[in-house]
Amino acid sequence: MKRWSTTSIVIVALLAAAAGAALALLTPRPVEAQAGADVPRTPDGRPDFSGIWQAMNEAHWDLQAHAARPGMVTQPGIYPYEYARVPAAPVLALGAAGGVPPSLGVVADDGEIPYTPEAAAIRRANGENWIDRDPELKCYLPGIPRAMYMPYPFQIVQGTTKIQMAFQFTNAARTIHLDEVDPPPDDTYMGHSVARWEGDTLVAEVTHFNGETWFDRAGNFHSEMLKLVERFTPISRDAIQYDVTIEDPKTFTRPWRISMPLYRRLEPNMELLEYRCIEFVEEFLWGNLRKEQLVRRWEGETIIVDITRKVPPGDQLHDWYRR
Amino acid sequence: MTRRLLALVGGAAVLAALAALLRPAATGPALQTPWGDPDLQGLWTYEVEIPLQRPARYGDREFLTDEERAALDRERAAILGRTAEGVRRHERGTEQDVAGAYNAAVFTTHRPTGQRTSLIVDPPDGRIPPLTPGAQRKRDDIRAFQLALLQPTDVCRNGLPTCAGGKYGPVSPRRDEPPPHYITLVNAGGAAVGGGGGAINRAFGPEDRNLLERCMAGVLPDFGSNLGFLLQIVQSRGAVAIYYDTSQGQGWQRVIPVSDAAHAPQGVRQWWGNSRGRWEGDALVVDVTNFTPKTYFNGSYENLHLTERWRRVDDRTIEYTVTMDDPTVWTRPWTVRQEYKKQSDRENRVYKEPRCHEGNYGMTSLLSGARVEERAFAEGRGPDPATKCTAACGGFAQGFDDSGEDANPLTR
Repeated sequence: MKRWSTTSIVIVALLAAAAGAALALLTPRPVEAQAGADVPRTPDGRPDFSGIWQAMNEAHWDLQAHAARPGMVTQPGIYPYEYARVPAAPVLALGAAGGVPPSLGVVADDGEIPYTPEAAAIRRANGENWIDRDPELKCYLPGIPRAMYMPYPFQIVQGTTKIQMAFQFTNAARTIHLDEVDPPPDDTYMGHSVARWEGDTLVAEVTHFNGETWFDRAGNFHSEMLKLVERFTPISRDAIQYDVTIEDPKTFTRPWRISMPLYRRLEPNMELLEYRCIEFVEEFLWGNLRKEQLVRRWEGETIIVDITRKVPPGDQLHDWYRR
Repeated sequence: MTRRLLALVGGAAVLAALAALLRPAATGPALQTPWGDPDLQGLWTYEVEIPLQRPARYGDREFLTDEERAALDRERAAILGRTAEGVRRHERGTEQDVAGAYNAAVFTTHRPTGQRTSLIVDPPDGRIPPLTPGAQRKRDDIRAFQLALLQPTDVCRNGLPTCAGGKYGPVSPRRDEPPPHYITLVNAGGAAVGGGGGAINRAFGPEDRNLLERCMAGVLPDFGSNLGFLLQIVQSRGAVAIYYDTSQGQGWQRVIPVSDAAHAPQGVRQWWGNSRGRWEGDALVVDVTNFTPKTYFNGSYENLHLTERWRRVDDRTIEYTVTMDDPTVWTRPWTVRQEYKKQSDRENRVYKEPRCHEGNYGMTSLLSGARVEERAFAEGRGPDPATKCTAACGGFAQGFDDSGEDANPLTR
């Protein structure tokens, strides 16, 4: 009797478990933490992030909250005050297009990036030497998370065991592995991404960075110890909440987070075109080594920018007034 | 307590069994995606070596016998072995000897010879169709410029194969002219042999160097080279992403929209063109247009038109067929067929990095070296840089010699 009852309990349990497991695996994902019913889904019920996306914020200028700046590069003007700087030579000819738009920032919690004192000094120097140090200006691979919020679209192709992300900027690419995969043989610019699903959220752990990439144009940076946990959660059909926990004990005193939505590019004819900037930066990288230089003056590796602004007849300041 | 434990264990076992059963990957070959398209996903490469064009000695013969393949494998292995051991070298200290250093075993292939005598399946002679007069003129222009710059070097003095069509002579006034066309690759001038460096023998600025040295050599179509070739394909509804892992960090990411939308406007010209895919039965058919005048494929530039067919033949195989059409360049379209075999996903063998550009110290060294030589010459401390060869000097043919009996038996 006792033996029979044990067996029967096990059988009942097995059946119940089987039914439960079948239900769990066969029905769409649970309703909690679920976005609108219009979120596209794969046949196995996961959110389908496939499509062309782009951040719509100023994080690529500076992750942190900042007021507008008069130029991408500035110098002291008439006044000796920090708040009264003026655009510097490299961007002077760009006028109002050369400024930096303001932002409330994307750094979560207290909005601070917890640099160690040594790293904070490097961050300041990076900002002051932006043109010479920012890997973006050299058209280098932008790294993660920076590639996700640069002012260029990127495409997600969500396959069955891999999710491929193709970035317009410098044709960069990244694979998020949902299956088991060996680590890369060396450290990388774009990281090694392995992901799992937590309900409707895709959680990617990104490691194996080489420490050569930055976060933004303000000089925020990290070392090769960088580890990311990215969370992609659908907000609606056309928006993804993108949260990243950033950890790098060599650079930061504690983990910190950035958080922003990514938006679908809704143009019906949207496609990813090329921004193959390697050829765009040859002058920037090697102009000083030309036999006949195109830029008027190089002093060693420093470009001396002499700005000549030729104004065609009829386009003099206020000419339009007189038309 | 025991019962609960048993129940838990039993339940867990059923869960595990069910999970295993329901996971599609565990149910054997799946040639369709869960959403019903042919499944091209995975890592792919070709596993046998087949020359693009059929060597003349095979005439109209499409296939090699097993004995011929074995003999070719032995012959190739012997040449590559001599290279790897440094037995076969050009005269010590010559520019060809330096260029030939690239012939080390790392650049060579270990793939066995394939059955076909050419990748080209149409025209039936397995050869690229003749060039139109216009394309031939363009090629001749480039070749004449290449030769003008090579003429005062040892390459021409010694009558080496890379000077074919030229002759030894004084420094040409053409050295100071802009190139007649956008400089792409060594063979844009029709030179049939290995380059051992750039396309024109000059380094006034980065644009004088070839696209490989500028880290911009990724082309479409790409039939691979001894320097490596892997495709990583990921697809979703409406898009097929292909990462081309090609030689020396020149790899690139392609996304093919599967859509009946029109091509991008004519004015939008791109290095890798503009692709439009559609499913036809078990094949992805892709139409590619809108190339730039800077892209180069066997004589064709911006008017190249490709029709590709990617067909999943079986669990291990994709058959790739591509027709090249450019009436401004070839007298008729031609078609290549290649078979890709599935590779282990787990081994993570496709590398998007290191890329060539982030580590392009070569360009810095090349240009600063050229400036140093010019200064030395101006100060009477060195030879005229125009007489030295830094591009298309020969001596490098991916493990083989660029001519003679140590040349690649599959292409000579």
